[in-house]
Amino acid sequence: MSDGPPRVGIVVAAHDELTRAATVAALRRLGADVRIELAGSDDEALDRVREISADLLIRDHASAQRLGTLIEGLRPSDPPVVVIVPAGQDRLAVKAFREGAADCVTRSDDYDEVLPVVALEQVRRHRAARDRSRAERRLRDLEELNEHIIQNMNSALVVLDTEGRIAFCNPTAETILGVPAGELSGRPAWTLFPNTPRERVLFSRTLDEGVRYRGEETVITRPDGTLVPIGVSCAPLAGSEGQRLGAVAIFQDLSEVKELQQQVLQTEKMASIGQLAAGVAHEINNPMGFIHANLFQMTEYLGDLRRLWEHVEALQQAAADGKPDALRDAAEALEKLAREVDARFLIGDLENAVRESLEGSERIRHIVRDLREFSHQGGDDRELADLNQCLDSTANIVWSMMKHAAVLERDYGTIPPVLCYPMQLKQVFMNLLVNAYQAIRERGEDDRGEIRLRTRVEGDTAVVVVEDNGIGITSEQRDRIFDPFFTTKEVGVGTGLGLSTAFNIVRRHGGTIHVESRPGGGATFEVALPLRAPEPAA
Amino acid sequence: MSERTSGRARRLLLVDDEARILSSLRRALRREGYEVHTAESPDEALRALDAGSFDLILADYRMPGMTGVEFLARAAERWPDAVRILLTGWSEQVPRAALEAAGVRALLEKPWDPEALKRVIRDSVGP
Repeated sequence: MSDGPPRVGIVVAAHDELTRAATVAALRRLGADVRIELAGSDDEALDRVREISADLLIRDHASAQRLGTLIEGLRPSDPPVVVIVPAGQDRLAVKAFREGAADCVTRSDDYDEVLPVVALEQVRRHRAARDRSRAERRLRDLEELNEHIIQNMNSALVVLDTEGRIAFCNPTAETILGVPAGELSGRPAWTLFPNTPRERVLFSRTLDEGVRYRGEETVITRPDGTLVPIGVSCAPLAGSEGQRLGAVAIFQDLSEVKELQQQVLQTEKMASIGQLAAGVAHEINNPMGFIHANLFQMTEYLGDLRRLWEHVEALQQAAADGKPDALRDAAEALEKLAREVDARFLIGDLENAVRESLEGSERIRHIVRDLREFSHQGGDDRELADLNQCLDSTANIVWSMMKHAAVLERDYGTIPPVLCYPMQLKQVFMNLLVNAYQAIRERGEDDRGEIRLRTRVEGDTAVVVVEDNGIGITSEQRDRIFDPFFTTKEVGVGTGLGLSTAFNIVRRHGGTIHVESRPGGGATFEVALPLRAPEPAA
Repeated sequence: MSERTSGRARRLLLVDDEARILSSLRRALRREGYEVHTAESPDEALRALDAGSFDLILADYRMPGMTGVEFLARAAERWPDAVRILLTGWSEQVPRAALEAAGVRALLEKPWDPEALKRVIRDSVGP
């Protein structure tokens, strides 16, 4: 089909040569925009019609085939057929109509006036019908496409009525919600959240207050009790005159995403633990080293003491026996041995060795206590925790690996208990501390690094500041510093996940994290956490 | 060991920022007949090296200011004949190349075996 102005196409199939000539002449009167194609047989006529998408087929009565056969072979999209009937043969016209002709024109004197009028009228009708059916088809296609998308999309789609009942849902919704097909309709949406008061269910707020949600994370409960994390977008549904019709919600199953996040978290945790283990091993190895060496030495000292005691016993025996010579010999032998083993020093040093070893074991005890405190974690639930203590127990552990490179200053303000995931926050603090330590090490080794920890309350937020005087970061680095896998460190030193993990954890707590720095001027990370944690949306 | 040191007690310099380690080393070596000197930092140890020669220098790896390997490399510049031994709590962290460059003869892991320590020193400088 050409893109130009729609030309009228008419196919003429006339056996009778005179009729054909008269027909073509009559149609010419319609103007140059009419394209006329001639065909010998009905089959050829049909081919022509389809070839040029003709608007009309004109056929005389002298054809070899039955008119009915031709008309039965027409498709709905094919044009109407106008039949030319010889003058005075009205019977044939009736028959033609019966067989399905759209109209008949008699080969009478006024033929070349009547035919163009009839032809034009048929073309107009055909075009109107064709346009209508095209529009209908387009609408039907659109509807089918819509239906196809809704039925097959990877997201769940749920439409709620004004009462909050499920009016429609797609198969994905049924899959995610774990409900057999067709069983969701009519069910109140808040029953998907049995653990949340009805007015706090996110759909309720959309219905009652028109609140829109985008990518909100929440958890639904399946009939079998399993929990599914989902990301929901929800908007009120309004009619063409603005009347409330309900709400429409789209949500995705976030189980896999959550699992991946968990893996990333775990990877980062393992990398940090490796560094920590090195620091802690060093901290334990020092006291273990001298305790072990001291114990070894003390065994030698005990051997000397035993020999001394044997001499004391011999002296006692000699005294009991009352023989002066033997007594004098025993006393001399004891004195000689005491000199030999340096008994006075030995007893003093034994006391020192015991005291120092006890100190060492006390240090190990502390390290183990710090570790226990650091690794103490609740389950998956949030709990009220002391942020200062979270920070301090983390610093105690991390500091063991950095105490040769940096001094640590602590300046803690009073902070009320905060509802949080303590272990996750400890990981944030650990990542910030390890980062500070690495920034100090990269700066060089001439003067000692400094890490300052400060906490305070500002309005309704708790602020934790980790400040170092390390190499600092450029403004380009600062823009990307919380991106996953962004690292300025050598391969193998950083995972590039530390700060992005910290960022995600802080965001999950409804808080913010930001950094101020300039190259060479150290860096200051500030974590702000709401004192009253926001309720997790449901 | 070299002729230079024969005929007098061997001089050892032990360097660790952990006083208790030095104390236990001194305790273990008391009856071995050495002249034992200790230093609690690389700086202090470098001053001791300026004041006199040593037959053996034993240093901890992780110390403030510089690592034990860096310190031993500097000690070698001053007294190239001194046997150098490194004591470390985490030997995987010690760069092998630096260890070789500093001419470290032996590497002892914390916690160390007291008998092995005495044997290494005895084998290096004699009784």
